[in-house]
Order: sequence, then structure tokens, then C-alpha cells
Amino acid sequence: MGENTNIIEMHNVGIRYDQGPEILSDIKLGLKKGSFHFLTGKSGAGKTSLLSMMYLAQKPSRGSMSVFGKNINFANRDNLAALRRRIGVVFQDFRLLAHLNAFDNVALPLRVCGMDEREVRKRVTELLNWVELDAHMQDTPDTLSGGEKQRIAIARAVINRPELLLADEPTGNVDNFIAAKLMKLFVELNKLGTTVVIATHSDKLINDFAYPRLHLQNRHLHIIQPAHYSMLREKADA
Amino acid sequence: MPKSLYISRKQELPLKGDSTSLFLQVIISIAVFIFAITLSGVLSVNTMLYNWNRSILGSLTVQIMPVNDTNKEKAAAQTLAHQEKAVEFLQNVDGIIKVTPLTDEQLKQLIQPWLGDGVNLDSLPIPRIIDVKLAPDAEINFVDLAQKLAQTSSQASVDNHKLWLSKLIRFADGLKLIASTVLFLVTIITSGAIFYTTRMSLGLHRNIIEILHIMGAKDTYVAQQYGKRMAFLGFCGGCLGLFFAVPVIFFISSLAVQIEGGIISEASLSFGDWITIFSLPLFSMFIAMLTAYYTVKRTLQKML
Repeated sequence: MGENTNIIEMHNVGIRYDQGPEILSDIKLGLKKGSFHFLTGKSGAGKTSLLSMMYLAQKPSRGSMSVFGKNINFANRDNLAALRRRIGVVFQDFRLLAHLNAFDNVALPLRVCGMDEREVRKRVTELLNWVELDAHMQDTPDTLSGGEKQRIAIARAVINRPELLLADEPTGNVDNFIAAKLMKLFVELNKLGTTVVIATHSDKLINDFAYPRLHLQNRHLHIIQPAHYSMLREKADA
Repeated sequence: MPKSLYISRKQELPLKGDSTSLFLQVIISIAVFIFAITLSGVLSVNTMLYNWNRSILGSLTVQIMPVNDTNKEKAAAQTLAHQEKAVEFLQNVDGIIKVTPLTDEQLKQLIQPWLGDGVNLDSLPIPRIIDVKLAPDAEINFVDLAQKLAQTSSQASVDNHKLWLSKLIRFADGLKLIASTVLFLVTIITSGAIFYTTRMSLGLHRNIIEILHIMGAKDTYVAQQYGKRMAFLGFCGGCLGLFFAVPVIFFISSLAVQIEGGIISEASLSFGDWITIFSLPLFSMFIAMLTAYYTVKRTLQKML
């Protein structure tokens, strides 16, 4: 896949649940390889729905969508599984497996791929050290704080060195120091070629990092470049 | 040594904690218990049929009933004519190697213990007897033979213990059919129980399965975890069922042996039969594993 190829492409994508109204309509998006975007919008704007389509938890109700060049409308279950292995996801509510300890939770994507257990142990230990949770390896999520769970969730998302990282409010439950450290991790991953999309409400985050925004408003997606965003902010401040 | 080396791997799906595990194990135990006893019955009947067939000698007897006529000479001549027709017919049947009509002298010897010496056969309505020898590998349908013989000679009838035995064999075959139906039903009911408990468990662990899918797990990854768990439950349940079934089989066998010289005492289990019975836990293990595996694969396609 070349530098200018789109990791995700959406053409007139719409999504609805059952017979309800469309949550998102006519979404057109080309997410370039190696890009970094914030996903913004009010609560209920459809950020989680858009992300869930991106991590292939659900298919669009209409329109066509390609992920890593594969049209998912025609992908079978095994194809989808193979594509999902290239995507890391951080959920807003962490979605850690309560009966597994921190180590096993982080190891999950590697074991699902059938990686050798020695390599799994090496990689997981390294990453848990990096997120400063090596002392909590054998602790289950219910004994960890919100911030610690968040870090476990992020470690699980990046352990497999994904080509696409999708994060839903990844810094929502951590202090500023940890938030900065996690953002540094995302930026480093992005520099190494990982495409990153972070859903956030944090103005600070958006201001601190000059990345374009995918903004959801009235069921539609608008792409706002950082310069344009700054201009809007200045106008609003004035 | 790094701390992580002490960490033991846990299954992603906490199936051990499922409340349905105990229920399934009990169901499988009962199923294997019934299966083992029924199977031992089928195998015993098979042995019995084999012994019966082996005990049948390679011969049969044909009787020519005397013709009823006031003219005794004419009646005797007609009876002999019927005998000749029967002999001619029997000589042309495949699998019959020798046809010997008994002489008057031989007939007298046969009835001598009951009627004494000096009996005049012509004055008595004594049936003529034909001794028939069969080839060792003869495959003769005796019911069919009796019908054809009766068409050739209305006075002829086949007196063959196989005819009597064939009724018993038919009865035994009926028993086998019933037993096979029971075995089939037990397998279906057990598979059904596994099917529904697996589906219930899939619903229970839906959130975990969703996470596994998002991480890139294929359906087979989830199905394998269910397959392994059900294989374990199937094997344990099978062993438990067999543990209770074996004493019962021995008890029933001892009752059969007590009927000395009877037909049922022929029903015994061979070494091979016992191996078959003792392999039932493996059978229940495979049934449980395959049912769970394919249930998961099929259900996930509809569920997610």
C-alpha cells in the first residue's frame, strides 16, 4: 500500500439501526495512510457509530466502504477478521475482559493471531513496563483505577503494531501527565506509519496538536483543517 | 526470572464458570449410561444371533403328509408321487447337496420307539420323510423354499429348526431396531442439549466474543474454545455414565447366565464388545466437541 493510498474510503455511506432514522448520512471520506485525525462532534453526533464502522464492527446500511483497499460490502467473515487484525481500537468504556488480568488483556490481540507465547510474553512485558503498569500485570481490571484501565486498553490496542489506530476518548480518564505521555505514544506510532483517528471532546488536545478534524454535525461529516479551525476559534474568541 | 513468566494463561472465554456446565455433564452422564446399557443389549443380541446361526446344522427335513383317500393303495401311490416331485424339486435347489428320501425300513425304525415292532406302514397315515443336506456356505431363504416346495407338492412341508429360529431372529432383529432407535434418540437428545446450552452460553458471553472479533479473532477461534470445553465435559460425563452403567451390565449378564441352557444365556459380550462399550466416553467427547464447534460457527454467523 503506497503513501497516498487511502486506508479507509467511504462513498455516500449511511448508517441506521433497525428501522430507525439514519444516524449518519452521505459520509464521504478518504483516510490517507499515515494521517492523524481528531474525530469531533457533540454527544450523540455519531462518533462511536462512525468508529465502529471503521473497526468493522458493523457494516454501513448503504453506500460503499473500503478498508485497506478491500470493499467490505463483499468481504466474508474471515476477510473481515484479517482486516481487523490490522486495526487497534481503544474504547471509551475500555471493554477489558473482567476475568483476565492486565497481562492477558494486553496479550489478547497477539494470541488471537496465534503468536508464539514466548514472543507474546516479551512484547506484553515490554509494553506494560512502558505504560508503567508492570507492577499490575496480574491484577484484574476491577482492582485497577480508571486511568490504569485506560492504559491497559491503549496497550491492548497498540500491542499488535496496528496500521490503523482508532481511539474513543483515550485521554478522558487520565491525568495531564499520563494524557501527554499517551498522546506522545500515538504521535510516535503515527510517525512510524500508523494512521490514527482519535475521537475526543477535549479542546486542549485539539489545540495542542495541530491535526485535521473529522467533525460530525447534523449527520454529516466535515473535514476541518487545523488552520481553518484556529481561524474559527479566533473569530469565536473575538 | 521475569515476573511475567509466572503468569499462567487463562481462556478468554470463562466457560468453566458457566452454570450450564454441571447440567450438561449430568445430561451426558445419563445419556452415556442409557447408551452403554442399550449398546450392550444390541451387542449381546448380535452375539446371540451369531451363536444361533452357527448352531443350525447344515440340514433340513421335508415331510410329505399322507394323501387322504379311502383307497389305501391309491393314497400310498399318490403320497409317493408327491415325494418324488419334492425330491426332484429339492435336487434342483442351489445350496442343496444331497436329497435322501427315507425308506420304509428307516421310517419304521423312527416310529418303532413309540409304536413298537411289526408296524405295517401302509395301514397307518405316516408321513414320508426326506433328509436334505445343505452345502456349508449355502445361503438359502427357508421361508421362500417352503413356499416353493408347497407349490410343487401340496403335501410337502419343510421341517426346519431354522424356520422356528427365523421367527426368533426376526424378533431379535426387532429388538435391535428398537435399541438402535434408542441409541439414535439418545445421541440426538444429547446433541440437542449441547446445541441449546452452547447457544445460551454464546448469548451470555456475547460481549467477550464481540471483543475477540474486534481483535481479529475468527469464528474458529471461538468455536475451538467451546469445542475444547465441551470435549472435556463430554469425556467426564461419559466416564461418569460408564462408571454407573458397567455394574448394571454385569448384573444383567449374570441374570442371563443363570438361565441355563436357555436362549438368553447365549447373549454374552465379547472382548471387542467391551472395548466398544469402554470407548463410549471418547464417543461422547467427540459428539460434544463437534456439536459445540459447529453450533458456535453457525450461531456466530447469525449473531454478529
